[in-house]
Amino acid sequence: MKNRIRVLRAERDMTQEQLADLVGVTRNTIISTEKGKYCPSIKLGYRIARVFGVCIDDVFTYEDEIDGPSKDNE
Amino acid sequence: MRRITYLACILAVSALVAIMIGSAMATGNFFVPIIAIPLWVIVVFACRRNLETVTADERLSKVRSQAALRTFELMVIAGAIAAVVLSSFVFSESLSPKIEGNVYTDTNGTVSMVLNLYKPGSPETPGNLIQSTTIRNISAMDETEATAYCEFRQEAFGGNEQNGLIGVTIAGIVGVMLVAYGAFYLYYDKKY
Repeated sequence: MKNRIRVLRAERDMTQEQLADLVGVTRNTIISTEKGKYCPSIKLGYRIARVFGVCIDDVFTYEDEIDGPSKDNE
Repeated sequence: MRRITYLACILAVSALVAIMIGSAMATGNFFVPIIAIPLWVIVVFACRRNLETVTADERLSKVRSQAALRTFELMVIAGAIAAVVLSSFVFSESLSPKIEGNVYTDTNGTVSMVLNLYKPGSPETPGNLIQSTTIRNISAMDETEATAYCEFRQEAFGGNEQNGLIGVTIAGIVGVMLVAYGAFYLYYDKKY
């Protein structure tokens, strides 16, 4: 799952800590999500999108080659 | 309350409760744990309620559950192997005679030892006694007698060693579980 969290944060001059506080997770979760190591739940995805004031599709992009059923991206 | 304050508070309260319970068990006062444990739970919950930062989220839950699952799987495999090994000990023990030993001081002040050999798999009652040997004045033994005594003593007091072995085994299992959980936690924390 690709994401634009880093770009959206930079546009709003927001730190990882601030975003983490706003969505109610730890900073490590934001770091892992940004790097694409952790795939967040739909709930968390929506919360992140809502903080940035955009649609969830503008934050996360599903890619068949990476996120397909044969890959273990859990 | 900041996270570091919270951790320091929990650590201090936990240490205090552990000391209280330890001393209460040693003195035989069993009312202290009944009061101390609920108080500890109340303090922990009170601290958690005042915590400002997030200490657990969905990623951490996932890391913890994955680490716990892998630890459980590892312990099931290790437990199955251990069960096979231990069951062989249980069967072999019931097929071998049981030796029991006692040390006592005679009226003349010398120390003697009694060794009793019981029938395999039977309770240690006089009816099941195969042989009883008394070694008088064990302090005045020569080298040959002392060697034989040591061998017998090791067998006769094996029960105490077994009890100690059970304690060490349980502590070892708990230790291995904690280490395995910690290792898996670090692995999944790095992975996610």
